[in-house]
Amino acid sequence: MSWLTRARRGALLYLLAWLIVGAVLGGMCAIVTSAPPANALLFAIPGTLVYGVAAGFSAYYLCRANPLGARPLALVVLALCTAAVLAAFMWLAVLGGWNELCLAAGVRWAGIVQTPLLSALLFALGTLLYGLLAAINYLAIESGRARNAERRELESKLMAQDAELRMLRTQVDPHFLFNSLNSVSALTSQDPKGAREMTLRLAGFFRRSMGMAGHPRITLAQEMDLVRDFLAIEKVRFGERLVTEEALEKGALDCLVPPMIIQPLVENAIKHGIGQLTDGGLLLVAAWRDGARLSITVSNAIDPEMPETRRSGTGLANVRQRLACAYPNESTLEWKREGETFSVEIRLPAQAATTEANDSGA
Amino acid sequence: MRLIVVDDEPLARGVAREYLAAHPDIEIVAECANGFEAVKAITELAPDLVLLDIQMPKLDGFEVAELVGGKTRLIFATAFDQYAIRAFEIHALDYLLKPFSQERFDKALAHARASLASALPRQEAAVREAAAARDRPLGRVLIRDGAKVHVIRAEAIAWIEAQDDYVQIHAGGKAYLKNGALGELEAQLDPGRFLRIHRSYLVNVEHVARIEPAGRDSHAAILADGTRLPISRSGYQKIRGAMQ
Repeated sequence: MSWLTRARRGALLYLLAWLIVGAVLGGMCAIVTSAPPANALLFAIPGTLVYGVAAGFSAYYLCRANPLGARPLALVVLALCTAAVLAAFMWLAVLGGWNELCLAAGVRWAGIVQTPLLSALLFALGTLLYGLLAAINYLAIESGRARNAERRELESKLMAQDAELRMLRTQVDPHFLFNSLNSVSALTSQDPKGAREMTLRLAGFFRRSMGMAGHPRITLAQEMDLVRDFLAIEKVRFGERLVTEEALEKGALDCLVPPMIIQPLVENAIKHGIGQLTDGGLLLVAAWRDGARLSITVSNAIDPEMPETRRSGTGLANVRQRLACAYPNESTLEWKREGETFSVEIRLPAQAATTEANDSGA
Repeated sequence: MRLIVVDDEPLARGVAREYLAAHPDIEIVAECANGFEAVKAITELAPDLVLLDIQMPKLDGFEVAELVGGKTRLIFATAFDQYAIRAFEIHALDYLLKPFSQERFDKALAHARASLASALPRQEAAVREAAAARDRPLGRVLIRDGAKVHVIRAEAIAWIEAQDDYVQIHAGGKAYLKNGALGELEAQLDPGRFLRIHRSYLVNVEHVARIEPAGRDSHAAILADGTRLPISRSGYQKIRGAMQ
């Protein structure tokens, strides 16, 4: 409804503008042909209003059909000029016809003498007005496009925030916490030292993960500290079933990554992979630098007979989305299942910790 | 009272053992670290009570419950609260949320002692009902063969044949006998994949190579391995629609 009223108001304003143009034109006619003002106004205003509507629609569709930059400029200019000349001719014909009608009516206050000079002036004015309309249309289209781009940028920012929020929500899996607390509860009587060790690991894990939430980037070394705390806790729970290994290249450890980007992969690997195996298996985290790219893989043993779980998709999708927000078009996440191994590889631009500091300072 | 502890985490089994030490009337007859072991132990040892974890390798707690078919009473112990309703639907005695206290555990045991006198058949029926009412089609079929358990992926099943009170499931060149009616299994499997082509035959459409006329007014389905299955008249309408 509001759109309708707004559209109506716009149309009224538009017609009002043309009414003014018509009045000015009428004044001009009165001067050029020295006709009485009433005759001149009656001659100019109706035709001008008709022209306003017709040329307005024509220019609007012509501009929409030929967006700037999409077609050669010369072609667009040629089309517009042709349309302007044609429109001006038609306008002239309409004004002339109306004037004939007025003259035929034979009343004193209607009809003027249409001199060639007036016709030439009217024609020139018609083309000019048409050109003006086209220019206004292009301006409106461009500003609309700019507004759209702005909105899209805002939307993608919101999406990034949303992903960040989801990350914060998922970073502490409540079941991980409850299972760990159950282990602590078991250890308190069986192995008090172990219980203390586990409590310290848990505290370390939570302190680190909470501290990371505020940082857009951390070094891979910091992320691996968190992952190690997490794995140490899970090892207490799973015992010998969980075997972990790291293959981290030295240069890779100084690279920056979004916080909590490997942890969910490792968590998935345990939940859907090793946790489903009676005898457990190996979980490998590897990272290496390959020129300007940093590659990180997390691979784990899986039960080859297990049907592919759809659930594992959400964790991966979350990491993929966060990567896409952090490095638009510069990061990839791929996963593959080969026999008894499942592996996820992420590739992102390798940024060393020092260059990032310079970037943020600049 | 004879009890089995099922949990894939040694520490969690340790807690149970410790809490149970306060109950001299309860004997732990077995400890199991996964669903297969649990089904085997429950079948062989017929305990009065099972303390059952839910998230475990191979078979989860509910699959174990389904396979042992209500022959024992169950207390679930898990860190996940979202399965509680499902657990009570199959008439579990209690649902312990990890970590739980000795007091909470004692209460569960007291409840178990009190209700052990009550009949099991109700639970047995509830387990079967819950398995049948699952909204998702079965991705795998569990077959208990004595104390052994076969887990067969639905894709691998070529056809299923009704045999009195049993169904014979043919998968990967082997045949397995399972308790139950063909209609029951048909209701649980993916209807887009499994078609009832005959009163006694349920076939996996993806294993059907072609349909051949057999006699004047009847047809037969030829499977990829050459098996011929009869098709009834109503079955012919269904399979023709599915194969097009």
